[in-house]
Formats: sequence, structure tokens, C-alpha cells
Amino acid sequence: MSGGYRQQPGGSGPTTRKDGKRVAGKQSFPPPGSGGSRPHMKPRDLDFIPESVGGKEEQPAGSHIHDRARTGTTVGKEIPLVDSNAKVTGQAWYGDDVRLPNEIIGKILRSPHHYARIKSIDTSRVEALPGVLAVATGEDSPHRFGVLPVTKDEHAMAVEKVRHVGDLVACVAAVDEATALEALNLFEIEWEVLEPVFDPKKGLEDADEPIHWRGKYHLSKTNVQKRVFQEFGDRSLVDKPHAESHGKWSMAGVHHGFTEPHAVVAHWGPNGRLQLYTPQQVPHYTHRALSTVLDVPMHQINVIRTFVGGGFGGKSDPFPHEMCAAILARKAGRPVRITFDREEVYWINRGRHPSHIEVKMTADEEARISGFDIDALIDGGGFASFGHVTSYYNGVLATAPYELGSFHYTGARVWTNKPASGAMRGHGAVNTRCAVEVGLDEMAETMQVDPIDLRLANLLPPHSRTISGFRITSNGMREALEKVREGSNWDEKFRQMPLGKGIGIGCGFFISGSGLPIHWDPNRFPHATVHIQVDMDGGVTVHTGAADIGQGSTTAVAQVVSEVLALPIEMIHVRSHESDTSPVDLGSYSSRVTFMNANAAIRAALEIREQLLNAAWEILGYHPDNLVLNDRRIYYKHDPAIGVSYLKALHKAQEDKGSLIASGAYRSPPMGGVHKGAAAGLAPAYSFSAYVAEVDVDVETGMIRCTDVWAAHDCGKALNPMAVKGQIIGSCHMGLGQVLSEKMVYGRTGHLQNANLLDYKIPSVHEMPHVEPIIIESCDPEGPFGAKEAGEGPLLPILPAVVNAVYDAIGIRLRDLPLTPDVVFKGIEKTLKNSDVEDPLDLPSPRLTHSSLQPTLVARAQEHKLRDKARQRTEDTSPYVNGVLFGFDPTIPLEDQVEGWRTATEPDPEQLAELGLAGRAWLKKEQREMGGEN
Amino acid sequence: MSCCLSNSGIPYVDMRAPPRRLWRQNMVGSEHIEMIPSPKKKVWSAQVNGTPVEVLVPSNAVLLDVLRDKVGTLGVKRGCDLGTCGCCTVMVDGNPRLSCLCLAGQVEGSVITTVEGLADGAHLAPIQSCFAEHGGSQCGFCTPGFLISAQALLNENDSPTDKEIACAIEGNLCRCTGYQQIIDSIKGAAAIHRGEVEAAAPASDPHPDPHPEGPEEPNMPPGHAR
Amino acid sequence: MLMPPFVLHNPTTVEEACAIAGSLMEKGEDFDWVAGGTDLLPNYKWHLNPKPHVISLARIEGVNTLSLHEIGCMARLADLTVENGIHPLIVEAASKVASSLIRRNATLGGNLCLDTRCFWYNQGEDWRRSIDWCHKADCGTGADCRVVPNQNTLCVATYQGDIAPTLMVLDAEVHLIGPSGLRTMPLQEFYQLDGMKKNVLEKGEFLLKITLSEASAARTGSYQKLRVRDTWDFPEAGVAASWIAGDATSLKVATTALESIPRCHPEEVTSVLEAGWDGMNSVKALAAAVRKSVKPVNNTSLPPRYRKSMVRVLTKRAVEKMIE
Repeated sequence: MSGGYRQQPGGSGPTTRKDGKRVAGKQSFPPPGSGGSRPHMKPRDLDFIPESVGGKEEQPAGSHIHDRARTGTTVGKEIPLVDSNAKVTGQAWYGDDVRLPNEIIGKILRSPHHYARIKSIDTSRVEALPGVLAVATGEDSPHRFGVLPVTKDEHAMAVEKVRHVGDLVACVAAVDEATALEALNLFEIEWEVLEPVFDPKKGLEDADEPIHWRGKYHLSKTNVQKRVFQEFGDRSLVDKPHAESHGKWSMAGVHHGFTEPHAVVAHWGPNGRLQLYTPQQVPHYTHRALSTVLDVPMHQINVIRTFVGGGFGGKSDPFPHEMCAAILARKAGRPVRITFDREEVYWINRGRHPSHIEVKMTADEEARISGFDIDALIDGGGFASFGHVTSYYNGVLATAPYELGSFHYTGARVWTNKPASGAMRGHGAVNTRCAVEVGLDEMAETMQVDPIDLRLANLLPPHSRTISGFRITSNGMREALEKVREGSNWDEKFRQMPLGKGIGIGCGFFISGSGLPIHWDPNRFPHATVHIQVDMDGGVTVHTGAADIGQGSTTAVAQVVSEVLALPIEMIHVRSHESDTSPVDLGSYSSRVTFMNANAAIRAALEIREQLLNAAWEILGYHPDNLVLNDRRIYYKHDPAIGVSYLKALHKAQEDKGSLIASGAYRSPPMGGVHKGAAAGLAPAYSFSAYVAEVDVDVETGMIRCTDVWAAHDCGKALNPMAVKGQIIGSCHMGLGQVLSEKMVYGRTGHLQNANLLDYKIPSVHEMPHVEPIIIESCDPEGPFGAKEAGEGPLLPILPAVVNAVYDAIGIRLRDLPLTPDVVFKGIEKTLKNSDVEDPLDLPSPRLTHSSLQPTLVARAQEHKLRDKARQRTEDTSPYVNGVLFGFDPTIPLEDQVEGWRTATEPDPEQLAELGLAGRAWLKKEQREMGGEN
Repeated sequence: MSCCLSNSGIPYVDMRAPPRRLWRQNMVGSEHIEMIPSPKKKVWSAQVNGTPVEVLVPSNAVLLDVLRDKVGTLGVKRGCDLGTCGCCTVMVDGNPRLSCLCLAGQVEGSVITTVEGLADGAHLAPIQSCFAEHGGSQCGFCTPGFLISAQALLNENDSPTDKEIACAIEGNLCRCTGYQQIIDSIKGAAAIHRGEVEAAAPASDPHPDPHPEGPEEPNMPPGHAR
Repeated sequence: MLMPPFVLHNPTTVEEACAIAGSLMEKGEDFDWVAGGTDLLPNYKWHLNPKPHVISLARIEGVNTLSLHEIGCMARLADLTVENGIHPLIVEAASKVASSLIRRNATLGGNLCLDTRCFWYNQGEDWRRSIDWCHKADCGTGADCRVVPNQNTLCVATYQGDIAPTLMVLDAEVHLIGPSGLRTMPLQEFYQLDGMKKNVLEKGEFLLKITLSEASAARTGSYQKLRVRDTWDFPEAGVAASWIAGDATSLKVATTALESIPRCHPEEVTSVLEAGWDGMNSVKALAAAVRKSVKPVNNTSLPPRYRKSMVRVLTKRAVEKMIE
């Protein structure tokens, strides 16, 4: 008990001395944490402590490994983002707000041609212009870079060829903007104009001069950047369908539309190190690319992530302008700032791929989904970017949440002479998901069953495996569907509303972190690392490389540390801006930050906690198992009066070693199959969501107004419900834009026609429906306190929900996104033409009479509900794989049970003839097979 | 020539056609707009956030550029520069105005309030604290503009309806929040303006809490107990 | 998006403004007028036909009058959205213009003199260089029109103002002033068919105010605007209708955002009236006739075929609402 003390509960006798001071050891207040009347005696917040450790927080999914680390401090509470005060006072510093002394302004010369070879660049007149301090061209940047190591195809500035209008050709830095702009006009360039490709279908064919050349891996002489073939399951099941749906979709490219244009400031410091300020989601990849392009070791570069004014995937590539700024700054010896105009933002793009998607699906007589057949041709634009992954995601992320009899996917991504497509919120999954969910709606219609019941009766249970081998852990899909059905009053509205009013359902499924890091072998490095340092002042400094792009990752990390250490969140200081001080982090993409960083942070915080508890043990004499942390105090579980302050314990712990330092890391468990591409779409957890949308359609004009959305999202555990709701509503907004009004318009000459925010139509406050965010907590066994992602998945369901609602309203299936009024009007006109109806106001609206399948489905859903509940609570731990619904035994490999069951990543020769649009890429041979050069 | 339009009016892009002239990037004749020399600079004065400022600006200066580059109020954001996004909204003589579409010369001598001028020292204005509390700000880039639009609304009307709020912020673009939590924030601030709700203690207020010692230690240094 | 250099003039009286214009014309220097700046500044930022001088009307006293019978050129659209004596039809149209923030800057004069728009034209300088310029902003190259090629004489950019059609159906008169004095004309005659010339304003002239007669003030009507979003967007098509309540012969219809100028449709109205007014059937016939008479081209967000079809719906709705 050395150094310890006891506080005596209040009692008899005087508590103050004659001179007014307190009598030692006699406290007139109830012990802290015991629930006295004064606010600072508030007890542990039992409402936010799980049942399994004695609190009152309900745990429908059972206990969680992190339950013991819960202190009821911040997790699960609606608290403001920790950086929100910086944002509301105008102090948040974004890219263009970095103003270094002596800065000069950089501008980029952009290609006026879609596709052209640069024969010569004469910069002499540029250099002669007074005020110009540095000029750079492709010659200054011979090294290639790219976000994926397998597809490095970008240069800081065009080397040899430009690949789209707006591609970077050269750059200048001058004393002011006017001089820099004037200088751009003095470049003398000779071009050889080449024949461009705009139509992705054309990209599948051989070209005289493919946009990139991949040597022996190049596919014939096409512009195909990546082709994918995946086939799982028993294809014989689809031969005699009871119902089927076949839809050909054309989806326009969409842009992230973040409000902050790209900006970068580069400065080579006095010691020759590069400081690069950039609003990046993924500073680490920029760091790597800079090192390659500049030929400077990584440790000589400090990448400083500024506040990011919206990313959504659009700020996750290493960008050529970042390289340009660094090159110019090195040449000029002064800090260089480059800020984009909105037009340039659209030219650098990386938005969602314009896609041609074909989905065929079939169901058997029991309304089980016997097959998905997906073909996705995606338009990659001029560069690879994340496209390699997108090519996979378009297929494989459709393998859940439903149990499938078979799955067949062909995908191809082609280069075209347009701004490069890349990753955007809901990466790769959004378009296919829309097509699949609308297909299900159509099948339900053919089978005359309720589409929600069709889904409920075909869901994969928790703790199961998809047909492609993804490991599903927690799964709140069923609950999400039930909640939106109830909330929206679905049963009274569906197929029962008058013409022009409709209601529709859509579901979503998304990864929560990518199981395979892009740049390294997970066996050598962890996915995420977080450092915590606690010095004698008691403040906790957390170092993480996670990039807060407004989604609140800094807050999430601060919250989990605050939760574990039972400290007010104001005492947690997250340092995440500089690569010099942050442990390497993969950045904010694939919805990995909450899951991976918060897990790493918990691990580090637990280490600190252990040290504190050991110190308290020494002081109080009670074993840590019997000690409780609550609001800056550690005390004996059974008598809160016996305790020690956090600061005392900290000082005790520091006695011999100074400040407490801990490093926590997260690495995802080994998972997945071994087939080619098995890693794409693998994630340690998956999120699920279901939305119901209600729309009004003006049948005379084709205008669609979405009025209400019930949005249920399974995020495992809402660490901060306010932030989760914000993500859900925000996702609705973005998805609604894609389905109703947003598109990148490439005119007849291949030019991007609407590179500004007036003509690129992001919904305004008036277009926004009322969104009812519904948080589903399935408590993921591996997630931090059970949490999973909530940033991207919620975008997926809104598209199909709206498309399905439009069908419910006017009885027309539209498959051209976005559903701008002219598209809808065209659909209405066509329908009128094909029927006897003259006035659109007399169109029939669809109605539903249930078939005999409906009760079967309801019964099966009911049965599955019990099954899922038992599995979710791990009362039933028997293995479950996709296929059990079709009568397979999950303990025996499926291949051994039925002859037709296969896993293939290349088409059989006899399949070649019947492949879809993108599948045609498989008719081509790689150069090495053709005996080509290299 | 890169692209042509055919005689029949049917568009085509013929990239193999021989160039009409050697395609050079630089101008031939007046093929671009001259950017320099800039017009003569003049002293421009105004009252920004309560402080008189006098800066030297060119005659064609835009208010947004003056505020960001000369006055140093970097809280005013440039999103689209064409009047759509509303990130650059500032109050000019009490009216919310798009500073990217205001010539500095047209508003010379006026009283300008930017986001930096909303708080009273370290004490946040209700609209600011409500944006933080209700999640009205995610990435935060559009926030300064929204705050000014919202504050201007609340100055005129402390009990706005949902419709009135929507109309007040229809010129501001937010890509993160879907507007719903912004509307909640404005409603929350309106309630404070009406005096129905007490403003939460501003977290940016320099304050002793949280002291690492915790609230109820007997040997807590004086001045830290609450 | 730096604007090219220009000198801003800030006259405080109409006379001074005219004098500045006169002296610039004498010196052979080109100039533009600027009122609210919401139309001119984006164009200048895109380097679209900038001039070395810009004369601001913002500080001129007495040109922002607001009453039922007279509205000054500098009246802010935001003030026109409040029904304090302004004609309700103007209020309806003004409140549909762009966004509430734009309306704080934008003025009546600016809206009536709005530059015509086209997606081959409203682009940055780099962008327009990549299409080798266009007829409307050819930078000295003599470039062809990109919308309707090979004619090289007419610019078909679309006039996308909201208020002009409503003022037309209210028989408003415009008052123009310049170094050579004041002139007045019906608004219908103000616009001139060409996307570049746009209107009858001579160099040095500007639109001073509009006036409404007693008879106009007695009219009621409606304005229907087609746009994808309820804010920001220019009209993709717009139809205004007005009448003296109950008197079908007084019916007037005007359209906007379909051609290079807004215009009234007296012939279509007359032909329908000649057949005798027959309630909804006449409305339908009128709607079909107006639809037939407009010729939108492909230079705005929505396809021209659709915009044309919508004229029928908009006309029908405008007249229906007017009759209500």
C-alpha cells in the first residue's frame, strides 16, 4: 500500500478545521463514481458499458473481445468531430491555405489534343519571360509512377505522348499568377496528332497505336488495360430458370465533386529535404511516388497532409501536379504553390468509371437465386489509376449478401482518351450493385413475390462464406431490411400507390478495409500502426497516418483511445498530418480507417492502460483485474472510494522510464481462396445496408423527385452515431446525384462538356429527400468495439432503390444512368408508343398479386431469421458456406459434391463464343502468347 | 487540326487529316488573352471583421482574391470561383454575398464579415458551436460559406422554417453532409438565438477542464475544481 | 481563375457613366458594363471576350428603384423576390433565378442583358483552345460555330434569362441611355436575333430601367421554368403567360431559353383565338403551337428535342396556372 491512500466516505464528525481547511481523510462528498448528486461524481456511464461486463448497453450479437476495454467514456456517444472547431472558425488549413514565405505560383500547361505525340517542346521564350523562375517538362520526370505497383503508367508531365485533353504537358513557376499564365502561352510545341479512342467498346479492338504499351503482357494491340474472368458454382443450375432478368445498363461517369480543388505546396527546406503540403487521402503513396519520381530517398521527404476538403476517392492517387510542384520548387529554390481551377479538377478526374454493364440472373422454382451472370465493360480513361482493382470489384462485390447457385463474371477495363477514371466512394461496387438489385426486383415481379421477401429468403447468414470465398463475419442485412420495411410502411405502399408515386428497395454490401494492402506483403508489415505517447502532463498524443478527409477518422481514433483510457476526449491529441511523425498508414481508402486504425489504436491504448493499471496496483494493492478506469481515476471495483487519480498512476508508471510510449498495430487475419484475383474484395469485415426510397415522378416532364429515404446501414457498432448518420445521409446525397442528375458529359468530339459545378449537377438542398438514417449494430467480432465501415457502403443501395421506385411509380424500367428528365421522358414516350395510351397521365401503374411462392418465401425467411440469430450470437458455430441453401454439405468441399461445381479464372475455349461485351477481351491473346516483342 | 466538324453538319473527329497549320501551342495573332501587364494598383479599404484594412490591389481585383491573398482571411474558401459552390460567401454590409463574383472596387468601404469574424474572441457564435455539435461540418471546406449564409438568415429571422432555411442555403454546395445535419445545426442555433436553449460552453474557450488530475482529488490544485 | 487585366470605372451618376463611356469610345477603347457581376465575371474568368475597361453601375445613385411601375437596372433580384409592390409575376420569375446567393448580387439589368450561353462557349481558355475556339469567342481566328457548323455568320448561343419573358407578357418597356441620349421601346423589340449581338444596345448604351403601364399591372400570369435542380440552374426552357383575368383575347405567351433571344408568341395565340376560345382544348392547341414554333439547338444541358417537347407541357401549365 505504499504511496496509497484511502478516501473515507463522508460520515460523522466535523469535516473542516477551525481555520476552515479540510480535515485530512474526511471527505464530505460521496466517493467519485458512486453517483453522488454533484456532476463530477457521475458514476460510470453504464448505458455505454456492454452487458457482458456489467453495464446496460444491449448486445444483441453477444459479447465482444473489446468489451473489457470499454469505460463508457466516449464510444457510442454523439460527440462533435475533434477538429470541428478548427473548421467552424475558418482555421482549418486546406491545400491552398498553406502560404509559405517567398512562395511563387506554379501553373500547368495542358494538352489541347485528345491524343498526340509531342515532337518537340521549345521553352526558350517561356524562360525569357521576366518573372518566370522555373520551367519543367516531361524530360524532368522520366520516372513512372501510379497508385498500384502493377500499373505504374503515369508521368509528372507527358513523356512522348499526351493521352487526353487536359493531360499535363509542362509547367512553369513565376512570381505571380498572371505571369505564370502568360508564360503558358509561350511554349512552342510541335505535335503529331494521333487517332483517339473515346468509346470503350472500340477500346476492345486492336488499334494502330494503343494508348499505353504493356510489352509482353499487352493484350494483342487493344486498349484493354485489364480483363477479368471469374466463375464459381454450378452453372447447370441456370439452364432451366423459373424466372429470369436480363438488363443492359449504361452508366455515365461521375465525379467526386469535392468542394476543395486540388492544391499543393512544395518546398525544399534548408537542409535539402522536401516538404510537400497536399490535401491527400493517401499521403503514403504520394510519398512513395515522390521518392521515385524525384529520385530522392523517402526519408528525405516529409509529406504533410493538410486538411482535406472532401476526397471520396478523388484525392487518393499520387498526382502528377504534386510531382510538378516538387520539381518546380527544386528548380526555383523557392516554395511553389499550385492550385487547380475547377476545370483542372475534372481533367485529373479519377471519378467513377463510365460503365456498360449487363446482368443476367435466374431463379429456380423455389425462388433461390441460381445464377448471376455479370459483364462489365468500364471506361478507364487515359491512365490505370485504381482500375486494376475496379475491374475486379465490379464483379466480386456482387457475390453477397445473397446465396447464389452460381456466379459468372467477365470484366474489362479499357483505356480511352479521356480523363482517367479511378476510385470513388463505393469503389467498383456501385454500378453493378444497382444493376443486380434492379434485376432482383424484376425477378420478384415475374415471380409475383414481394422483393423484400425475396431478399430475406436468400440471404447469407452471419459467419459464412460467399461463393467467391469471402469470409462474412457479422451480418446485419436481415435486420436492415426489416427495419426499412417497417419504417417506410412498405407493406402498405408497395405497388399500391397512384401513378407517379413509387417506392423501391435496394441493398448494399461493401468491404470494410482491403484485406491485402496495395504496396506490401501483409506478412511483413501490418496494415495500420498507431503510436501513443503519454508524458508527465497527462495529455495523450496519438500518432497515426490515417488521413481525416472529413469522415472523422481522427475523431474515431481519439474516441477509442479516450474510451480505453477513460480520459475526456479533450485530453487526446491526434497528430496525423506529417509523414515525419506518423507511422506509415495506407490512408483513407477502401473504408479501412475505422476498422484498421481504430483497432491499432485500441491495441496501443491497451498497452498504456496496462502500464497505468500496474502502477495503480502498486499504489493501491489491488490486482488490475479488480480495478476500474473511470474519468481520470482508477479505483477498486468494489469500493470506488479506494482509488488513485490517473495522473498519480501515470507518474508512478513513469518513475523508471519517463513518458509512456506504446505502439499498436493491426493486421488482418489470413483469409480467402487461392484462385487468381482471390484477394480482390477480401476484407476482414463487410458492411451491409438496405434502403427504401420513395419518389414522385412527373409523368409529363420526366422529372423525378426523391422525397423520402429510409436508410439502414450495418456499421457493426456506431462509435459516434452522429458521424455515422452524417455518412449515411451524405452517401444518400452523393448516390442520389449519380442516379438522378450527375454525369460527366463527353460531347460528340470527345471533350468533357461540363467541367464546372454549374453544369455538373450535384443535388442542392432542394433535391435532398428527408433521410431517416437507421443504424444497425451487428457488432463485428474483429472490429474495434465491434465497428465496421460506414463511409462507402451506404452509397450503394440508394441507386437501385430509386430506380426500383421509379418503376413502381410509372411501370417503366430505365437502365441509363443518370435518370435525367429527358431519359425518363424518352422512356415514357416509348412506352406510350408501344401501348394504346395517349396521355402519359393515363399510364397504368404496376400492381402486385402474390403468387403461391410468396408464403413459401415468407416461411423460409422466418426460418432463416432464427438460424441467423443463433449464428450471430455464436450459439451456432457450425460452418456455413454459400451453397447450403441448395442442399450442399458445408463440411465437404463443394467440388466433391457435385460434378459441375467449379472455380475458374479463365474461360474454357468453348465458353469464348458466348461471352458478353467485356468478355470479348478474352478473344484476344497476350503479346507473349503471340510471340510478340519484349 | 485536332477536331473538325464535317460539311454535312454531322460531327466527326478526324485526327489523321493533315494539320491545317503546324499546330503550335503558342499564339498566332491574338489567339489568347494577354494576362500581363496587370492594371495599375490602387489602395483599397474596407472594414474586415471589425478591423479597418488598407491594401494595394489592381483595379480588376475580385473580393475573394483580395480577402485571401491580401487581407489574409484564408477562412474564405475558393471552391468553384464561378458563384456555384458558395464556399466564398462573406457578409458585405450585412448581406451574404459571393465574394468570387464581387469586384473589390464595387464594395470598397463596406463592412465585411468573414467566418473569422463570427466568433467573439474565443467564444464561438451559436451557429458555429451548433455546426460542430450537430455534424453540420464534415470536411469543413464549405462550412465557412454555410456559416455566413446561415448567420445572415438568423440575423433577419430567428425562427426560420425548414423551407426558409433551405432557401437561405440553396446557394451553398455541400458534398459531405447531404445538408440534413446542416439544417439541424441552423435550427439548433436558431433556438439559441431565440433564447430557448442555452448555448453550450464553447470548447474553444480557453478553459481549465479537463485537468488530468480529475475532478475530485483531494489534493487537486486550487482553481481547478468545478 | 485570374481575370485578364482591365480598369474598373466607378461612376456615381448616370451622366458620369455616359461621359466615361463617351470618352472611352472617343479613344477607341473597348469596354463592358458591369452591374451585379454574376454574368460578366464568370465570363471574364474564362477569358471570354474581356475588354480593357469595365464600367460599374453599382455606385450610381437612383438606378435601383423598385415599384410596381418602374424597376431600375440595379435593382437586385433578391429584392424582386419580395412582394412589396412588385408585380407578382416578376416576383415568381425572379425567385426562380439561380440561387439565393446569386440573386443577392444579380440585378434586373444584368438579367435582361444576360450574355447568351452555349457549352462550346462557356468554358475556360484551355478548353476552348482544344476545340480550336468558336465563333462567339474566336480570339481572332475566325473560327466556325461549333453548334451549327459551316455558317460562320450567326451565333446560336441560347439566351437563358428568366425575367425577360415575364416582362414581355406584361408589355414592359425598356429605357436605354447612352451618350446619345435616352430611348424607350417595348421589351419585345429590345432583343435582336444573334447570340453575339443579343439586343439593340448600341456601344455606350446601357439599360436604365423598365416600366410597366397601368394596364400591364392589371395582368396576372404565371412563369414555368424547366431545370434539373431547383437552384443554380439556368432555365432549359421557360414559358411565361399572362392575361387580364377572364379576357382570353388579352392572352400573351413568351418563351425563353430556347433560342438566342426570348420572344413573344403572338401568332400562335392569335391562331388559337381565331378558332374561338375553348378552355382546356384551346390551352392544349396553344401549347402544341408554341412547341412547334421554337427551335432549340444542342448547346445547353438537356437535349434540344426534350426541351422542345417540354415547351408544350410548360405552356399548358403556365396557362392553366394563369387561369386558376
